[in-house]
Amino acid sequence: MLVEVLIQLVVVIGILLPLSIAVFVGRERLARTRSEWRTRLRAAGPTVGVLLLILLINRLARQRAPRLSREIGIHLTSWFYNIEGEFILIFQSIATPELNTYFSLTYIYGYTFLLIFPVIAYFTLSDTRIFRRLLTAYALNYAIGLVLYVFIIAYGPRNLMPAEVTETMLFDINPQYRYITREVNSNTNVFPSLHTSLSATVAAFAAITRSEFPRWFPVAVVLAASVAISTMYLGIHWGIDVAAGLLLAALCVELSDRLVDRWSLSELFEDQLRQYEERLPWERSD
Amino acid sequence: MNRRRTAQNQDGRDGGGGTRSRRAMLAATAGLTVSSSGCLRGVRNIVTPDNIGQLSVSITTVPADSARQNVRIARHLEEHFEAVGIDVSLDIRSDIDFLRTVLYDHDFDVCIGRHPGGTDPDFLYEALYSRYADESGWQNPFGYADQDLDQLLEKQRRLSSDDRSTVITEILESIATEQPFVPICAPEEHRVVRTDRFDGWENGHLATRHGYLGLEPATGVEALRVSHADARPTENLNPLAADYRRGGTITNLLYDSLATQNGTDEIRPWLAESWDWDGQTVAVSLREGCEFHDGEPVTAEDVAFSYRLFKDISLGALEAPSPAPRFRGQVDAVESIEIRDDHHLEFTVETNETVGERALLVPILPAHRWRERAAEVLGTGDASIAQGTTETVVTNNVPAIGSGPFQFVSRTEGDQVVLERFEDHFTSRTAVDLPEPTVDDCTFFIDPGSVSASRAVADDARDVTSLPLDANAIGGVEESGSVERIESASWSFYFLGFNARRAPFNNYRFRRVIAGLIDKQWVCNEIFHGYARPVASPVIEEWIPESLEWTGNDPEVPFLGTDGELDVDAARAAFENAGFRYDDRGRLRVRH
Repeated sequence: MLVEVLIQLVVVIGILLPLSIAVFVGRERLARTRSEWRTRLRAAGPTVGVLLLILLINRLARQRAPRLSREIGIHLTSWFYNIEGEFILIFQSIATPELNTYFSLTYIYGYTFLLIFPVIAYFTLSDTRIFRRLLTAYALNYAIGLVLYVFIIAYGPRNLMPAEVTETMLFDINPQYRYITREVNSNTNVFPSLHTSLSATVAAFAAITRSEFPRWFPVAVVLAASVAISTMYLGIHWGIDVAAGLLLAALCVELSDRLVDRWSLSELFEDQLRQYEERLPWERSD
Repeated sequence: MNRRRTAQNQDGRDGGGGTRSRRAMLAATAGLTVSSSGCLRGVRNIVTPDNIGQLSVSITTVPADSARQNVRIARHLEEHFEAVGIDVSLDIRSDIDFLRTVLYDHDFDVCIGRHPGGTDPDFLYEALYSRYADESGWQNPFGYADQDLDQLLEKQRRLSSDDRSTVITEILESIATEQPFVPICAPEEHRVVRTDRFDGWENGHLATRHGYLGLEPATGVEALRVSHADARPTENLNPLAADYRRGGTITNLLYDSLATQNGTDEIRPWLAESWDWDGQTVAVSLREGCEFHDGEPVTAEDVAFSYRLFKDISLGALEAPSPAPRFRGQVDAVESIEIRDDHHLEFTVETNETVGERALLVPILPAHRWRERAAEVLGTGDASIAQGTTETVVTNNVPAIGSGPFQFVSRTEGDQVVLERFEDHFTSRTAVDLPEPTVDDCTFFIDPGSVSASRAVADDARDVTSLPLDANAIGGVEESGSVERIESASWSFYFLGFNARRAPFNNYRFRRVIAGLIDKQWVCNEIFHGYARPVASPVIEEWIPESLEWTGNDPEVPFLGTDGELDVDAARAAFENAGFRYDDRGRLRVRH
């Protein structure tokens, strides 16, 4: 079951990526990337490493976190529910089968595409700063999200009002997607909405880079907004989760600006490397 | 915080032009509120001089992912609580957390759950006997204590046949009047099976080991692919862990018991070859040559050990015995066990044969693996039980070594539990006429929910759904040539549980009014889509006395309204009749 859904996902993303690279990036940037990729990768290497490390921790922790959460987490489901009540049910009033399909596809495929494409696009820029900022912002989103997930136990609207959201509920319409979402997340992790925060992060970067990728900017904004709405439309997140996701995105984009280039890891390592290089011949001649 | 919220509540009602629309009230109560923990209540008592205030109730239940019906009943109740002036909040917890909160920690006001019930009304002894009120587990989680009911519960264990039936009727009538918990409805059990790969599904009840034995595979079929819509067995296979067990279907394949019961059929010999009653003693003969999955022989010592362990999971290491959180009522029937030789034991029971034989249904554990688990564990941060926690209840027991017809191979957390046929099981002997495992492999695949599970069977990825389908998934099953939906006997029931340790849930008048806030018929029609029947008694149909039969409404605590719509004035009047008071803002007041 999981395999089928994964294959579909890979195929769809595999088609979308080359198409969008052709439309949004252009041949010129690709050509330059071919000659410069080594230096760019070296410059961005430490950031890539940090992101991969965070993703790995995230992956391992998501298996242990529910148990830890059970012991130390605080239950906020009823709190969220009491604050916003049946707010997300306003999306039920606009529900149509077409919108069901649109938001389901956006939630699964649109979101995955939205996260992967900018990584490729920004790598084609000669200046790696924006690339490194994006990866840093991703890493921050995941890191902060993970901490909040451990401390906050909350179930989404679908778990509280299953009958009310059933017409538009992602897993009621497409139960097969639950095989993939359960691999990624536990059902107590709804605050904040990482779907929203990561999409909003991408949209914010699209705004920052709109002179480089003018055509990508409107697409990213529409897609990001759709992802955020889809989480509520499909009954997965509360409005509060989405609001928190937007705040988290703003925080991560801002932090990425302050953190990137603050400590140059590569310089740090180069210093050490030089020291070793200086020391080694000296020791040998001794 | 509470005051501010109720003030908004009042505004909402006035804004609605005096009409008591519950939806408007719900929307208006969207103010900030925190569930009523004891700590907060304490704070409130300090800041407000008197200790009279609005009744705050939290309803503990599981999320829709675990069981869609529970949370819907909880919201039905929540709406009606709000309407009668009770400050209410929902407390949604995962299956494991729910059972620990309700069964182990007793940290709830009211809860909505599915009770395992029983094929014999004796399960009510375990559920309501007052001496169990302080223990953790399925034994009296409600903290209920009633002298008259105690005596009746004891009496039905001793009397036989007609006399027993009379007492059981009295018990059920007492439950109906006192409402120690509210039985809501008895769900039908439907499952989906593939008939092209296996035949014989109708022979065994799929909630028991019999459902997975004696199946007739088509030629070339060597694996049974079971869809299990509950991931807990991938984490823990401990037959004593009440927080991880539902019906214990998988552990019953791994462990044998002396006797066995196929659905509601009569209790028959299993690991015991036979037993003979002589008054209150029963001589049990074990089958010879049985082995545990690790090759150790199954002896009378293992049997006696298992019962000793269930009676005291510390095996005497703690100051007072610590009974296991499962099987309490069954094991309590056994007064003593004497080992005659390696394969013969003599049980002395304090009960009639019916109840005594139920004691033979508990799993037999290998003493050589469990003896060392009797040591006390402290501060695990995990489950802890009131009577004393030992490794016995907190171990995940992976790999599980039993003597059952299937043995443990591997598991992947959240994904699957792989079992294989235990070649040496006694059912495989030609002289033994009992259903045996007919496949080499039996894998329990975890599917996320009933709908996915039944789809996986339809897509030929699974052969059977082991757990009964959620009511919302039943109608959607498309039966084709090789996909069939089968219905089996059911003895579990949905209930509203009160924590009688906390006021005002200790007051039967209060409980009766609360029971009248649930429209059981509406719940069955709307929430269970007709796949459940409303009940006034928590036992299977053949035991329900005429006086408590369903007659379109509850015979004892009828719904205070019609078609799911509460008659708010009638309900408020019922609270006042029961001796409760409302303040000038229409809030139900209680002394904390």
